[in-house]
Amino acid sequence: MVTKVLNWINYRLPIINTFERHLSKHPVPKKVNFWYLFGALASIVLILQIVTGIWLMMPYSNTEEGAFASIEYIMRDVDYGWIIRYMHTTGASMFFAIVYLHMFRGLLYGSYKKPKELVWIFGCTIYLVMMAEGFLGYVLPYGQMSYWGAQVIISLFGAIPYIGESLEIWIRGDYYISGITISRFFALHVVALPLILIALVFLHLVALHEVGAGNPEGVDIEEYIDDDGVPLDSVPFFPYKVLSAMPAIGVFGLVFCVIMFFFPEGGGYFLELANFEEANPLVTPEHIAPVWYYSPFYTMLRAVPDPLGGLVVMAAAVAILFVVPWLDRSNVASIRYKGILSKIAIVLFIVSFVTLGYLGTVTVTETGKIMSVICTLMYFAFFLLMPIYTSIEKTYEVPDRL
Amino acid sequence: MIKSILIISILSFSLVPSINSAEGGPCKDYGDCDQFKPDLNNMASLQRGVGTFMKYCYSCHSLKYSRWGRVANDLQIPEDIFFEYLVPDKDAGPYDLMVAPIHELEIDNAPPDLTLVARKRTSSWVYTYLRAFYDDSSTTYGSNNLVYPGVNMPNILAPIQGSQKLGCKEVPVLAKNGGEKRDEFGNTITKEKCGYLKYQDGSGLLNVEEFDEFIYDLTNFLTYVGEPSRAERERMGVYAIIFFIIFTFLSALLYREYQKDYH
Repeated sequence: MVTKVLNWINYRLPIINTFERHLSKHPVPKKVNFWYLFGALASIVLILQIVTGIWLMMPYSNTEEGAFASIEYIMRDVDYGWIIRYMHTTGASMFFAIVYLHMFRGLLYGSYKKPKELVWIFGCTIYLVMMAEGFLGYVLPYGQMSYWGAQVIISLFGAIPYIGESLEIWIRGDYYISGITISRFFALHVVALPLILIALVFLHLVALHEVGAGNPEGVDIEEYIDDDGVPLDSVPFFPYKVLSAMPAIGVFGLVFCVIMFFFPEGGGYFLELANFEEANPLVTPEHIAPVWYYSPFYTMLRAVPDPLGGLVVMAAAVAILFVVPWLDRSNVASIRYKGILSKIAIVLFIVSFVTLGYLGTVTVTETGKIMSVICTLMYFAFFLLMPIYTSIEKTYEVPDRL
Repeated sequence: MIKSILIISILSFSLVPSINSAEGGPCKDYGDCDQFKPDLNNMASLQRGVGTFMKYCYSCHSLKYSRWGRVANDLQIPEDIFFEYLVPDKDAGPYDLMVAPIHELEIDNAPPDLTLVARKRTSSWVYTYLRAFYDDSSTTYGSNNLVYPGVNMPNILAPIQGSQKLGCKEVPVLAKNGGEKRDEFGNTITKEKCGYLKYQDGSGLLNVEEFDEFIYDLTNFLTYVGEPSRAERERMGVYAIIFFIIFTFLSALLYREYQKDYH
């Protein structure tokens, strides 16, 4: 009976074929390491954010008077509202943590090399949309840091010559941040950007399945195939890949629960203390800091004394990721077979990125200023010098098989 | 290779100089805040805390996001007793918000709402602040606070705590490496430093330990009211963690079994 129904549908809509092609029989490299699990974890967190988001939307009030109080209403009066909200706030930080690791994996093992350029570009676009999504969501509780953080970010657009001031008003919908701003940010956060995000994730996966997943060796598994055209060094996605992801999901769930149940504020990094006070346009908080996942870029913004220059540097820092496939001239994909220069470059890159992140969370000092300039230069040097160091260095022989 | 990349990267972070040290701490002139460890399952403490809050704080401070019934229920106080002895407004019901009369007047510069004070400033700050008032004839109310210099709040608990004044004491001189400096006979070198709280013995209803206990209960209550589901959260968290430990263990076993197919 079930088979009959399935066949009836499959004749009209290719569900079985699609399921087999993209899930049950989809071939994936048999030997990968833990770096290859973050994509799966990211999709789980995305679903978690969407589901908890829907439930948060129900009691949330997108008005100037009601926004902050409605968050406290969720935390106190809605049954298990606190757990839904903490899942969403912890999920936001975890989403970024996972995506950063996922992107770093891409840099380590050359997950952008031909023919995966589009997979990489869709991924970078997802990251860009996530940054906007995270910012909009951060404003919604309308605490002090929401308000002043939004003030800082929106005023960045004001630094653009000629159109800056009108652009700022257009974004806010008002001359200052008000209920109008909250309700439009709400619409963008819950409808517009999630739709775009889901569409991009879909494209990211379709493109990935077209060209095939990579592996830490940088071996092209399509070179050796059996009589059915299935790569010899691959295993079907189900059950093997699903099973290898399960322990990772368990460990991730464990980390997630430790944070959500015992440290939901994440020491002020996931939920900032100043945000436990309602937005007050008349009082500036002592120290405005972005949430941790934006802080590397915030430091770059502060490293340049001129607001427009800062904005350009910050935008360039994200934009440069998109062209990585064309900056890397190496004949091997994986860091394992690249030369010493690439290895030094990637170490300096991690150091600069994490230092930039740290500097963004603390107040500016003289040493901090100098270090943020140095680290910004190191960050850009990693990318801009890539065509040089990847083409002059001596690489190692890549094996034929996994 | 990856391991050595990670190790080198982590080690190099230790070279990042601490640039945070220049900032003043949240407890200002007091120095480091006294550490407060809440005990949200100690009902007796929370009940004493809400009693203190209603008696001394509620005339000026609201808990406008919290409801009467929830507090009575969470603190295991029977509602009839709670409303008879603790709620001054006889029309208030269990679903009403705990808004102080002063906040219904909509006056400018009203004292702040305290529902989230322990979350915004931390419990340790509240605990330290409430014990850091001292006599200061130069201010309107005749008192000042080391944690919040120039605070616009009278020392409402003065009759209970008694009088506290600023005094000086001998403190050890610290060497650059953080150790105490000693003279050639091995005695600690000291210098006089001022700005310390000096308590006048017997000037209040409670002695120092009793007063600390009294403020502990009040801070414990403010910690509770900042996040009423915290005790439940921590209880549930234990079960969630046990679940994921078992889940990880079992799925790892299953993964190992299936991995044999292709190794």
